[in-house]
Amino acid sequence: MRNIDPSTGGAATAPDPAPVPPPEPAAIRRMLSSDGFRASVTFIAFLALFAVYAVWLGDSFMTTDGRLLDVHQNAPVLLLGLAVLVTLIAGQFDLSVASMATLTTFLAIGLKVNQDWPFLLVIVACLGIGVIGGLLNGFLVVRLRVNTFIATLATGGIFLGLSSVYSKGTQLSPTEGDPPIPGWFSGPDSLGAFGNKVPSVVAWIVIALLVLWAFTAVRSRRPERFAEGAWAGIAAGIVAVATAVLLVVGAGGFVEGMSWTILLLLVVGLGLWTLITQMTYGRHLHATGANPEAARLAGVRTERVTVQAFVIGGVLAALAGIVLAANQGSASPDVAAGYLLPAFAAAFLSTVVLSSGRFTVPGTIIGGTFLVWVSQGLIVGGLEFTWNEVVNGVVLAVAVAFSTVFRKDGR
Amino acid sequence: MAHDIDIRGLTKSFGSHAVLHGIDLRIGEGEFVGLMGPNGAGKSTLIKILAGVHGNYGGELRFGGERVPSLAGRDDVGFIHQDLGLVDDMSIVDNLRLGEAPLRRLGPLLHHGREARAAADALALVGLERSVDTPVGALSPGEKTLVAVARLLARGARVLVVDEATSTLSPADAQQLIDSLKRTTAEGATVIMVSHKLSEILRVCDRIVVVLDGRLVEDRPAEGLDHDGLVELLVAHEVDGHPGGEREPARPGEELVRLEGAVAGRAGPVDLVVHAGEVVGLTGLAGSGLHDVAFLAHGSAVPDRGRVVRPPSATTALVPPYRERQGGFDEHSIARNLTISALPRWRAPWRLLRTGVERRDARDVVGRLDVRPGDPERAYGDLSGGNKQKVVFGRALLRDPRLYVLCEPTRGVDVQTRREIYRLIDELRSGGAGVLVVTSDFEDLVAVADRMSVVVDGRVGPFLVADDMSAKDLEAFI
Repeated sequence: MRNIDPSTGGAATAPDPAPVPPPEPAAIRRMLSSDGFRASVTFIAFLALFAVYAVWLGDSFMTTDGRLLDVHQNAPVLLLGLAVLVTLIAGQFDLSVASMATLTTFLAIGLKVNQDWPFLLVIVACLGIGVIGGLLNGFLVVRLRVNTFIATLATGGIFLGLSSVYSKGTQLSPTEGDPPIPGWFSGPDSLGAFGNKVPSVVAWIVIALLVLWAFTAVRSRRPERFAEGAWAGIAAGIVAVATAVLLVVGAGGFVEGMSWTILLLLVVGLGLWTLITQMTYGRHLHATGANPEAARLAGVRTERVTVQAFVIGGVLAALAGIVLAANQGSASPDVAAGYLLPAFAAAFLSTVVLSSGRFTVPGTIIGGTFLVWVSQGLIVGGLEFTWNEVVNGVVLAVAVAFSTVFRKDGR
Repeated sequence: MAHDIDIRGLTKSFGSHAVLHGIDLRIGEGEFVGLMGPNGAGKSTLIKILAGVHGNYGGELRFGGERVPSLAGRDDVGFIHQDLGLVDDMSIVDNLRLGEAPLRRLGPLLHHGREARAAADALALVGLERSVDTPVGALSPGEKTLVAVARLLARGARVLVVDEATSTLSPADAQQLIDSLKRTTAEGATVIMVSHKLSEILRVCDRIVVVLDGRLVEDRPAEGLDHDGLVELLVAHEVDGHPGGEREPARPGEELVRLEGAVAGRAGPVDLVVHAGEVVGLTGLAGSGLHDVAFLAHGSAVPDRGRVVRPPSATTALVPPYRERQGGFDEHSIARNLTISALPRWRAPWRLLRTGVERRDARDVVGRLDVRPGDPERAYGDLSGGNKQKVVFGRALLRDPRLYVLCEPTRGVDVQTRREIYRLIDELRSGGAGVLVVTSDFEDLVAVADRMSVVVDGRVGPFLVADDMSAKDLEAFI
């Protein structure tokens, strides 16, 4: 890249080919064109937006508890985001996840209330339904070669239909005399209640893991001009400062405010992240999505990998339904239908939040959370909640367009 | 004149890596220029700057005396890559009309007759005798390329930039294409052709330009240059890595794969055995089912009939024939492209990957095969064709199988790399591996094969022992 500096130009044609640019703009330019900055530009833009919110709305927005409540309530959406993420990496679309979640919400409540199954069996059955649904999708797409949109649209219809057949089209909520839902699962002081917090020691462990992850992530993005040892020190410094700032701003409330649902989400996220970045399966999954033919010829069993991706997606979707049941304690028709769009939005945001074009697990959770916070801030600021979907759509389009524009001058 | 290309002091860097160090090149109307040079020398970058893919370069570009950012988006300049931009499901005439103003009969109704006549005229320009209603998918790769050329000429292209378009074609198709290009220069058009095939360049080019390490090191008329002279030009600037010496005779060991009447795709029924410690060569024309035989031997194709027998210990690795489509994962790093076939090597307890060791091993291979640029974290898609080939080769090496199935191992690679690859195949053989080389380039077989045969209509002919074979003999044999 050639630095053209107008300030040294003047009228004379300078034969000297190397004008010395002022050091500061050059440093800034270098930073702006670094891969690390490009990957984080959307993330930074979101933070800037929240800073604006903080000034505008003050404490009515900047409460740790309130924002954690958003995460808690949206855990099913974020789980669905992870569900579609896996299939998206494999180059497939799974449109059936929201319907799967609706089905398992009904089953998680109904198999206990109506059929009085032991509750652990209910959970296992719901996850099993997720496996079967995933296998069905995989069978249609891989064996019968049905287009992935059509196949998952159809199975989505089937899952949704089955849930309404099971519930006879009405709401399902436990009443007096029904076999009771266990108190640890739903209701006050349960898995699903925001008021029920994890012990602070667990929260501290989570924070320590997050800090460690952030450190590894920063360290692996070493710019060329730093030596490995020096950069490790700088990375540690950056992460330490960021952690300190977060604790001061109020993330300290995280320790007291983390509910079991949030913990579950983070544990699932960690597991999925390990699977798709640290294990053979993840490499095969990425290869299958990037170029199926090349992957097959390189010895990857692409068909099997794709079916497995659908199964993982199905299980995560089933889990989202179970969490939904825990949060709400009842099931109503179409309970998760509106979640499909934000789930895909979260997965797509992951390609621009702290990433340049890749689908990532942390990006999905962060992106999905940011999406909620943006609309929540507007609602706190007085916008009718019915605008929610509009805001979601706008944020997705703007965020992706924004980072595309920023990436363009790379080449 | 109106279609002169004038390149002055062209420089280009990616990050801190300089790829072009000031190229000066003037090309006049009616010239047929052959652009040559080793893989990663900067040929592709130069072409991509002309095509407007890379901006942000230093120096200037003039076309017909006017300063322009690139030659893209003009009707009088056309680019031919390996990816032709044709739609297989549509007919020739519909492909030719794509992006053109419609020829109308009345209002929105199209004038199909006039469109067909215009298309037939365009085909006549390139000498392709085919009905304009033929679906493009039914054409041979060479004919497809001709359709792409016809489309450009019909739009008024006076300058054609042809980037390795012949490397995936059979010799006959390639000949038809370059003859047709030659005809256009006779009518005053300019052709710039990038190719590694010396014989092609010598046959049609008026002028030969050699790029090396981002510099223009040779620019001379083709007249008076023969094959050996051109090789000398190309390697004069490099350390000579020619292995030389006699090859040891093959000592075939146990059977690694046996095909018994196997049928798949266009191949078969095929009987074929490859032993450890020998190099078996197959050649044939495009469409002969040649590569299907390779897929059968590798195990990526399952036989519809017959059997493929492989001892349980016989692991295989494949270098696929169509690098651009089947080779690798463009957005992934070079390292990931290298290690995808051999991941169990780096498996730690709990099935986690030892990513540190993996990265180091990838770096080793990048160094050993001299992949450029040599940063294993760069995207595979940024590499030039020959360097992609090296990565795909490296992937097979990392897998460390008993049987290597190498399709078109030297397609699109420069003279130097070609020698390296031959030496590598020799090494594999003396290391006790079995190698099946499947190629449409006879030169490969003469250089490395212990015994060889020709695939015609999906069947493998009788085997010939390499001793006194030459490329000419084999060519005659087909």
